Amino acid sequence: MVGPPYDCLANPLGAVRLTFEKAIGSGSHPSSFDGKDWGTVDLFRHFLFDQSHLSQVPILNLATIRWIQPNTLVRFRGMIQDMLGNEFYVGAYKDGSVWRTNKYMDFSQFPIGSSPGSRVWERRLLYCVPVPGINSWAESASEVAIDGCMNWTSQQRDKRGRMDFEAMDAKDFPVSGSNFEDSPSAKRMKEDGQDYKTEAACSGTTVVSEIDKDSFPCLVKIYDSPESELKLNDVFEFVGVLTFDSEIPAEKGDHDEFCNDYCDDDLVHLPSSKVPRLHCIIHRKLAAHDFLHTSPIIEQKPHWVKDVRESLLKHLTDVLGNDGVAAHYMLLHLLSRVHSRVDNVAVGKLSLNITCLSKESVSVFGTQLSLAIKNLLPFSTCIPLTVEYLSRSSLAPKKDYQTNRLIPGVLQLAEGSHLIIDETQLETGTLNSVGVDNARLLRNLIEFQKVEYDFTYYKMEMTADVQLLILSEGKSNILPADIIMPFQPSSVGSSEVVATKALEAWRWYLATVRSLPHSIESEMQKVVEDDLVAARQTDRSIGSQDFSRWLTMGRLISSSFGETSLSLEHWQMVKELERQRRERLK
Amino acid sequence: MASDSSPAPFNNGPSSPDDSLSSPIGNTFSSPAADNSRRNRRRGRSTTPSAFATPPPPQSRFATSESTPTPQRSRSIPRQAAVSTPSSASEGLPSSEGGDDMDEATPTFVWGTNISVQDVKSAIHMFLKHFRDNNQSQGTEIFEEGKYMKAIHRVLEIEGEWLDVDAHDVFGYDSDLYTKMVRYPLEVLAIFDIVLMDIVSLINPLFEKHVQVRIYNLKTSTTMRSLNPSDIEKMVSLKGMIIRCSSIIPEIREAIFRCLVCGYFSDPIVVDRGRINEPTVCMKQECLARNSMTLVHNRCRFADKQIVRLQETPDEIPEGGTPHTVSLLMHDKLVDAGKPGDRVEVTGIYRAMCVRVGPTQRTVKSLFKTYIDCLHIKKTDKSRMLAEDPMEIDNGSRRMEEDVQFDEVKIHQLKELSRQPDIYDRLTKSLAPNIWELDDVKRGLLCQLFGGNALKLPSGASFRGDVNILLVGDPGTSKSQLLQYIHKLSPRGIYTSGRGSSAVGLTAYVSKDPETGETVLESGALVLSDRGICCIDEFDKMSENARSMLHEVMEQQTVSIAKAGIIASLNARTSVLACANPIGSRYNPRLSVIDNIHLPPTLLSRFDLIYLILDKADEQTDRHLAKHIVSLHFENPEIAQQDVLDIATLTAYVSYARKHIQPKLSDEAAEELTRGYVEMRRRGNFPGSTKKVITATPRQIESLIRLSEALARIRLSEWVEKHDVIEAFRLLEVAMQQSATDHSTGTIDMDLITTGVSASERMRRENLVSATRNIIMEKLQLGGPSVRLLELLDELKKQSSTSEVHLQDLRNAVATLAGEGFVVFHGDSVKRV
Repeated sequence: MVGPPYDCLANPLGAVRLTFEKAIGSGSHPSSFDGKDWGTVDLFRHFLFDQSHLSQVPILNLATIRWIQPNTLVRFRGMIQDMLGNEFYVGAYKDGSVWRTNKYMDFSQFPIGSSPGSRVWERRLLYCVPVPGINSWAESASEVAIDGCMNWTSQQRDKRGRMDFEAMDAKDFPVSGSNFEDSPSAKRMKEDGQDYKTEAACSGTTVVSEIDKDSFPCLVKIYDSPESELKLNDVFEFVGVLTFDSEIPAEKGDHDEFCNDYCDDDLVHLPSSKVPRLHCIIHRKLAAHDFLHTSPIIEQKPHWVKDVRESLLKHLTDVLGNDGVAAHYMLLHLLSRVHSRVDNVAVGKLSLNITCLSKESVSVFGTQLSLAIKNLLPFSTCIPLTVEYLSRSSLAPKKDYQTNRLIPGVLQLAEGSHLIIDETQLETGTLNSVGVDNARLLRNLIEFQKVEYDFTYYKMEMTADVQLLILSEGKSNILPADIIMPFQPSSVGSSEVVATKALEAWRWYLATVRSLPHSIESEMQKVVEDDLVAARQTDRSIGSQDFSRWLTMGRLISSSFGETSLSLEHWQMVKELERQRRERLK
Repeated sequence: MASDSSPAPFNNGPSSPDDSLSSPIGNTFSSPAADNSRRNRRRGRSTTPSAFATPPPPQSRFATSESTPTPQRSRSIPRQAAVSTPSSASEGLPSSEGGDDMDEATPTFVWGTNISVQDVKSAIHMFLKHFRDNNQSQGTEIFEEGKYMKAIHRVLEIEGEWLDVDAHDVFGYDSDLYTKMVRYPLEVLAIFDIVLMDIVSLINPLFEKHVQVRIYNLKTSTTMRSLNPSDIEKMVSLKGMIIRCSSIIPEIREAIFRCLVCGYFSDPIVVDRGRINEPTVCMKQECLARNSMTLVHNRCRFADKQIVRLQETPDEIPEGGTPHTVSLLMHDKLVDAGKPGDRVEVTGIYRAMCVRVGPTQRTVKSLFKTYIDCLHIKKTDKSRMLAEDPMEIDNGSRRMEEDVQFDEVKIHQLKELSRQPDIYDRLTKSLAPNIWELDDVKRGLLCQLFGGNALKLPSGASFRGDVNILLVGDPGTSKSQLLQYIHKLSPRGIYTSGRGSSAVGLTAYVSKDPETGETVLESGALVLSDRGICCIDEFDKMSENARSMLHEVMEQQTVSIAKAGIIASLNARTSVLACANPIGSRYNPRLSVIDNIHLPPTLLSRFDLIYLILDKADEQTDRHLAKHIVSLHFENPEIAQQDVLDIATLTAYVSYARKHIQPKLSDEAAEELTRGYVEMRRRGNFPGSTKKVITATPRQIESLIRLSEALARIRLSEWVEKHDVIEAFRLLEVAMQQSATDHSTGTIDMDLITTGVSASERMRRENLVSATRNIIMEKLQLGGPSVRLLELLDELKKQSSTSEVHLQDLRNAVATLAGEGFVVFHGDSVKRV
């Protein structure tokens, strides 16, 4: 294939237009593109993945928004925080005798006459934010990736950008203007077109100052993808065209009641000067892998996995003051995830409650632990559980009908996030109704891995997959964890600096092992069943929860060795670990 | 023109030139007057002979309209439901969709379609005149008026402003018309209005209000999620919840301008395509001043408008999505028809509107804002299952809007389901499928969901139809999960925990309104779950006081209040599902149920079924549990539960059964019931035994009837068959065998439940008392020295070698004797007096 006559990076719209014209040229009627793609996605997929240009696409964030031009291809990594419904737009229309498309654009470049037969298409609006609790290494990972190509892009950018814009202008706006009856508007459009650059340049500076430092939201417009593909709280990478509305200056005070009446315009509250728009061409779901700096050699050497496991375990043991049992449980905890749900039961979760931590020791071990977890997992958050915090904070997301937005709560977390709840700071006091509600929410999260979102008139349960680690003095009664682990440190944790290489290996290990599939052989199943029955026969207090815990642990232990089915040896390890833990509980 | 704009008083005779039926859609169809009158004539011919009941149309009408052409948009009847006004139609139309260029179209066709206006008109006319409900008998058909003619008369009588038309009726009468109406609602509804006004003016030419057609109950209803560009300009029906209402917006319909120079008032200027064209020149010939016209606000006509935001109901939201919303545009009478929080079903026209870049600019963005022009709004019920329930005895207050319809397809499906031979087992399996086993408990719960028939005798006595169930069991036997599940499924219900409930919290309490100072009655959990199921967890931990309130509720099904000047009896027709832990948290099989649960027997006897969910040390069950959990962890859980009805089907099935099935006892079943009951009573009499154990009470036979009725309902059968009764006996026995087993005799003993002491136990105590009496008679002299209890015990043990005697038993026996005045009992010493 000869290189495409357009630059997918700097002028993606040109590519879109070309493919559209090609598709029309081949005799298809635009009506056949209702809710369908005409080859753009394939083109970009080929460009990004087959030719691996993905890393050259700049990532949209606070730093890059300064220099990224509108109408260029960008990437955005974020969590879907809210869904703003669908938007109808004129997708294809006839300009004279030529079909034009508005796909991946905010405005039509041509006045849409009252031409009959123009097609109305829909797109979805997603409000995306950076993943809550994203750790700096995961964030920088994405930046590092583009650093290499930054030079190239910035060099090329100016030249190419200008060329493309000029080319586009020349091509798109026939100089004669004879096609248009109302030439003033055409002229304005033309001016707009030329204004893009200057506007973007100035908006680049203004934009950043207004944006809240913590959040860099992005309004993503999704085309032609099934609804089930994108879910709330999913982490995605969107590749698409960045646009700024040209209405930025004109917008102030424009919203008279007529406009507000009808639309209750959701977007009014999200002016494009604050929230950039991204017309998504390709999206892909991100797993923990995608946040790693480098993907190490994917050699499934079992001993290599074992080595990493050993070194990670050693690291955790160090952090936990030489408490080996606790380190084992911590490793399993870090590997846990909800792998299936049967009605109310979230199978695979393994929340850990480390007890016997006083206020003093938590300042030593707690901080080290949270630091270690921050370094290992891409997303982690920490909640100090105090009476005041419970009574004040809004843990659950809440729908605000005035702005028609979902206001994020602390517990709106992406799949696979880690949450530390520090209960050692809890003192006696009275909870108000908010506090009671929040305590209930936390409890539901820990028991069912579900969070109730508050929609004022009703509550809606959303499934979550959050690893919960509770630090407490005694057994936490507010938050009944799966495993209660009395903590017995024998030394003060060492705060040695860990080599980056080791960290990277551990991150890779955690990300990979977590997603391993798992099964059980029928003979092993028999053994396990017999063991469970025997255990219950001897101790009637053992219930289904204990069974569940053991099985989860068995699964996690064998995964931690990089194996995909449970072996007797690992099952014995579970029993041994549990025995040691029970000893401590006595 | 001037006379046209002046209101009714001119319209005082059949020959009045004022044409009250001038088309409210103005020139949408741009029908020249000649054409209009031709149509009128045609219609006159065709309809007059058939319309017996309507007063003959005044002949002069046609003469008038023929001679004086109907003025175009003369009176501009305020058809505010913007749907059919061409002005707002074009305003809302996407310019591309066309539809607003009707002026150029041929007069007889709806623009852009092959729909002939005349055909539609006559079809509508025929429909309104001739539609009759199917259930009317054939013979009387021609003598009776059609359904909608009656409705029109009624509208005229009450001076209503709209006529509700059931879309199902339209479909039944003329499916072609229905299709056209749904596809081209703007046009067809406009014609509908014209025809309606024609008919109205035939009946009562003096009727001056404008009557609109409101369509409701479409054949298909869409979900908000599936609305897409192809639905634009079509009639849709949606369910949702109102989340926000705007304030009422006055929308100008007619404007009057005044010349600032000469004071001349202009003719009313009608809204045209969403805007009012301000005259630039004074109309008065003498004045003709330029740019002098100013709007006179208080002479303009305004209409109410409101924008309402509708949100998807939670059950329509797919996993991992947030609810969608859509704007509704309400006009006139529909304004404030719903409040935030109401669940409504809306019929309307889906519209899209261009977004202008700025309010003053005519350039538009490529975007559309969508909204629904609301035609009809119906409040639907809040709960999943029908709250309106056949158990209702006094069905006077049945409200129409709560009447959820099951469409035929659904009913057919449900009936198909009911014909399956294993429907009982399937439903049992589908109930809380993640809780394994406990099948008999689930069957009982199923009976509770379906419920029996409530009965009210003319004498005033009433029998409840609700089945009350008590689950007693060891901790960790998923009682609470069952409760939660039933709570989710039940039509209306409250879930409370015994520990957190007070008596007033359960029943009702009187409180003072902080603002007015009046005493008001606040309903508690039981009253709120009227016609539902009240789930009470941790029943045993409830305070004595609160429990005693339940007596009345569970049998009389009312809550009586006499406090602070309020004396009231509130309905609490609720089934109670309670669960309790045994005393000492684990069930002690050596003690009776009463001793285990520690509930007053009076309350206990009000439960139809008492299940003991015991955690037996049974290897089989353990293995089952282990298998269950292992498969949960390692296998694809979907495989594990096939053949299970989903919760939606289950609720639909239950609500359909509760609503439509009123089973009666067949003779055979009644016989079986009597036979079984007699048998049960007889079973207490052991052959050769003198002691009598009561095995069944009249309360049990009532329970049995309820259970068998519920079982018949499960099969959607109108008759209670013999096998229902047999199954009911089995259920009762299964429950009773667990709960009412007298552990010393092994028989079912209702005394155990009603008094807390079994007959054999009572007998044993009596024996002990008499034995003690004998010993005391033998050993002690009147007024002699006292004896220690332990000595007595030894004596007793010597005498009766068979039965074990405990010190406590003896102490009780001696206490009884002391009560008789036979002995004096002090501490440990007994003295005969």
